[in-house]
Amino acid sequence: MDFLFSYIVLAEIYVLLGLSTNLLVGIVGIFSVSQAAVFGVGAYLVAHFTMATDPLSFIPSMVIAAVCCVALNILVTLPSLRVSGDYFVVTSFGIQLLATAVFTNWTAGTGGANGLPGIPPPDLFGLPIETTPQYAWLCTGAVVLGCLGFFLIMRAPFGRLLRAIREDETAVAAAGKNVLRAKVSAAALAGAFAGTAGGLYAAFLSFIDPSSFDLDASILLLTMVVVGGARTLAGSIIGPFLLLALPQLLTLVDIPTTIAAAARQLIYGLLLIMFMLFRPQGLAGERL
Amino acid sequence: MLALQLLATGLVTGCALGVVAISFSLVYATTKIFHVAHAGIYTLGGYLAWSLVMSGIPMPVAVVISVGACAALGALIQSQLYARLERRRATHLVVLIASLGALAVIQNIIAAVYTPNILQFPLQWSSRMVSVGVVRMNYTQLLTIVISLIAYVGTMLFAHRTILGKRIRAVASNPMLADITRLQPQTVYVYVIAIASALVCLPGILVPLDLGLQPYNGVTPLLTATIAMIAGGVGSITGAFVLSVGIAVVQNLSLLVMPGEWSIGVTFFIFVIFMLFRPTGLFTAR
Amino acid sequence: MAALAACLVACTSANAETIKFGGILPLTGPGALIGTAEMRGVQFAVDQANAKGGIHGQQVEVQFEDNQAKPDQSVLSFNKLTDLTHVSVIFTGYSGPTLAMAPLATRKKVLLVNAGAQADALAKASPYLINTLPTIGGEIEVLSKYLTGDGKKKAAIMFENDAAGMSGRDDYLRFFPEAGGTILAQEATQFGQTDFRPALLKLADAKPDVMLVAITAGLLQMAQEYKQLDLKFTVAGTTFFADPATIADPSSSGFVHTQLHIDAPPDLAAQFKSKYGADMEFFAKQYYNAAQIVLATLDKVLEDKQPVTGETMHDTLLKIGKFQGLIPLEFKTNTASVPLDINVMRDGKDVLLKEMKLQ
Repeated sequence: MDFLFSYIVLAEIYVLLGLSTNLLVGIVGIFSVSQAAVFGVGAYLVAHFTMATDPLSFIPSMVIAAVCCVALNILVTLPSLRVSGDYFVVTSFGIQLLATAVFTNWTAGTGGANGLPGIPPPDLFGLPIETTPQYAWLCTGAVVLGCLGFFLIMRAPFGRLLRAIREDETAVAAAGKNVLRAKVSAAALAGAFAGTAGGLYAAFLSFIDPSSFDLDASILLLTMVVVGGARTLAGSIIGPFLLLALPQLLTLVDIPTTIAAAARQLIYGLLLIMFMLFRPQGLAGERL
Repeated sequence: MLALQLLATGLVTGCALGVVAISFSLVYATTKIFHVAHAGIYTLGGYLAWSLVMSGIPMPVAVVISVGACAALGALIQSQLYARLERRRATHLVVLIASLGALAVIQNIIAAVYTPNILQFPLQWSSRMVSVGVVRMNYTQLLTIVISLIAYVGTMLFAHRTILGKRIRAVASNPMLADITRLQPQTVYVYVIAIASALVCLPGILVPLDLGLQPYNGVTPLLTATIAMIAGGVGSITGAFVLSVGIAVVQNLSLLVMPGEWSIGVTFFIFVIFMLFRPTGLFTAR
Repeated sequence: MAALAACLVACTSANAETIKFGGILPLTGPGALIGTAEMRGVQFAVDQANAKGGIHGQQVEVQFEDNQAKPDQSVLSFNKLTDLTHVSVIFTGYSGPTLAMAPLATRKKVLLVNAGAQADALAKASPYLINTLPTIGGEIEVLSKYLTGDGKKKAAIMFENDAAGMSGRDDYLRFFPEAGGTILAQEATQFGQTDFRPALLKLADAKPDVMLVAITAGLLQMAQEYKQLDLKFTVAGTTFFADPATIADPSSSGFVHTQLHIDAPPDLAAQFKSKYGADMEFFAKQYYNAAQIVLATLDKVLEDKQPVTGETMHDTLLKIGKFQGLIPLEFKTNTASVPLDINVMRDGKDVLLKEMKLQ
């Protein structure tokens, strides 16, 4: 049963990340391959605060992490607002690689390549969350809140404004709306989702290291959004669950183990191409 | 002397990077596509040459065949993938993601076929050492500098003196007008990617000749090359090449003052600052 | 109730016909070369045991999971193997993933067997983690004493920027001065990097007698570039150096390293080679050895008519203490004591310089 629950936990954490990525990439149209970096920052922050000499309990740590990630994401997407889309691509790659460099080399803060072991299990205002099924409940709660938030925002005027910006930015600006503020707000929200996901991840695995927050992870996130469906709630849920199940499904097919991971990455790549060619809106999304 | 040796190493890396930057710049300036799959072609070139040499074919012939194969693959990606997406009026984001997908496919086919281990070219002459003043370099490093400079000059001549080159520049500067005046942009795009892929095959062979082959070794050079291209000014071939050498030299020399693990991080940090304050680059094309 | 209990006991101890173990190793990605060798070592030993009729008549099967050397994949695989396949023993390799699984092993009482990773943290990571080889600290202590005794007192460190490399670096920083030497400089490289020239040049600038190395990949490239740059200091390392391609290359002449003493009899190595098409190198031998230890433990557990659980395997293994697999070793703690050699690479061969017992 633990196996099923641990799959659900990880899938739900990636759903939060999917919402974050979908907000940035799908809805606002900022191509970001640095969401894994923000995810990582959230994870390291929660780990730091729950393991400090004067430890904070889980929820306060999460709040701090979320706030920091909001600020970080605003900072990180600022360049995109000054340069056109394609230039930002390189900046985004650069930010991700820079983050990986910091995670790996700043040993004092992040444990460096060794990682941070022994992160304590979380507690919900005193109620300890120790077993995997309990953790699954915690994550489900977080995801439900996240999805609800996403849904409400998209229904609200803010959501319509974001969609309008996507369609025609100059028209929106001409109509007197503050495009910059809308984009920054969306980025901030995306940061909150990513930071929360990071905290949940750290507490669940009790061990984090830079390899979970690298460029490959960012690309995986992008794949989830593309396959699941851009810009929609359903897409943000379907993508992660499907793509996390994929490695497990692959073990049922008889591929020689020496090429299994390369095969998996290959399939991700093919999925991206196929979807872009034949179904850019993903399984449950709108046209990218 | 340490500094001189580091400078030399930086020059070699920079020259190879320069060719990657030039070739990528050709594609981007003309088609406006952020062709990340370029890194895959770079990697593939090296592996193809290796396979040919391993089966007994002399190196120069292997190089020619690999260059041809890369050009063909590039043309294939353009005509089958990018052109189709263009016909469906896909956004830049969609094309970029498709290119990422193509990159993943190429890299992982290589990893599956050749295994992820580091492979070496079985050529004795490549590691023979030579002293240039107080600096020691091997034949491959010298060859890299020479061939990269030839590629740079060749590309400049091609772009400014030949008819195809001028046609490419015309399409690059105004695709809509090019369409109307029957310059056939789509065909030009295929030529451009083919040429760029042929070019990038050269460092794709030379760098692994010195350092060994790995399936996933293409992404970092491509990103650094892209930084050089943008910092040098999109559309400027000279800008891309000069900045590539500059970045590589700075990265190597920075070791004199800081631990090695930070040098790549510093490069990207400088780039991000660049993006915030001077996004148009240093040698902006007219 | 009693019938149910009896059935449960019967079910867990007999476990139908096959006894299942697990293996969580990097079978793809940068760690695949080593992970595949490790997998083959285990499989080879298990196949041999099965061919002889199994252990107490029962066949053994190992289910391997690919973790790409990543901690989160390892956790998923760990839960999968324990929940779905109910394994009692899991083979693991690589420091990072093993450290991630250690708390789970303690919690779920599954025996985790490591025969390849050497980070120092592994010694105390979990009572259920057994290391069949010493941590890198043990090797470096011996190496340091040998080097300073040989007159090489000034050193520079080259280390890989990951768990194994940094552990080695910290150990060099600790043991080399303890043995009477001084560390002049250190430089980090990345896993998978093949251009070591900048690091070599920077370290050479400090004018050391010896360069202490803690890298796991790219050794051959490093050796070649060392030779090309015409550097003169001695290069020293641990068992990580035992890479056949590096030993065979003339560039590595003079490289000194500690070597965990493990040898396979020639006909065994030949059988391995004909089955897998590859030489039975260090990691394959290590994991063959580890599998033999586990099988011997299983034998005792079944002999004592106990159920095959993580707990019984763990307790029995430590109770047996002394094993004779490919080499003799002894578990005084969770980490085995093994004989250690000092080797030097010469003319394409790895030659024994001195035999030393671990402290």
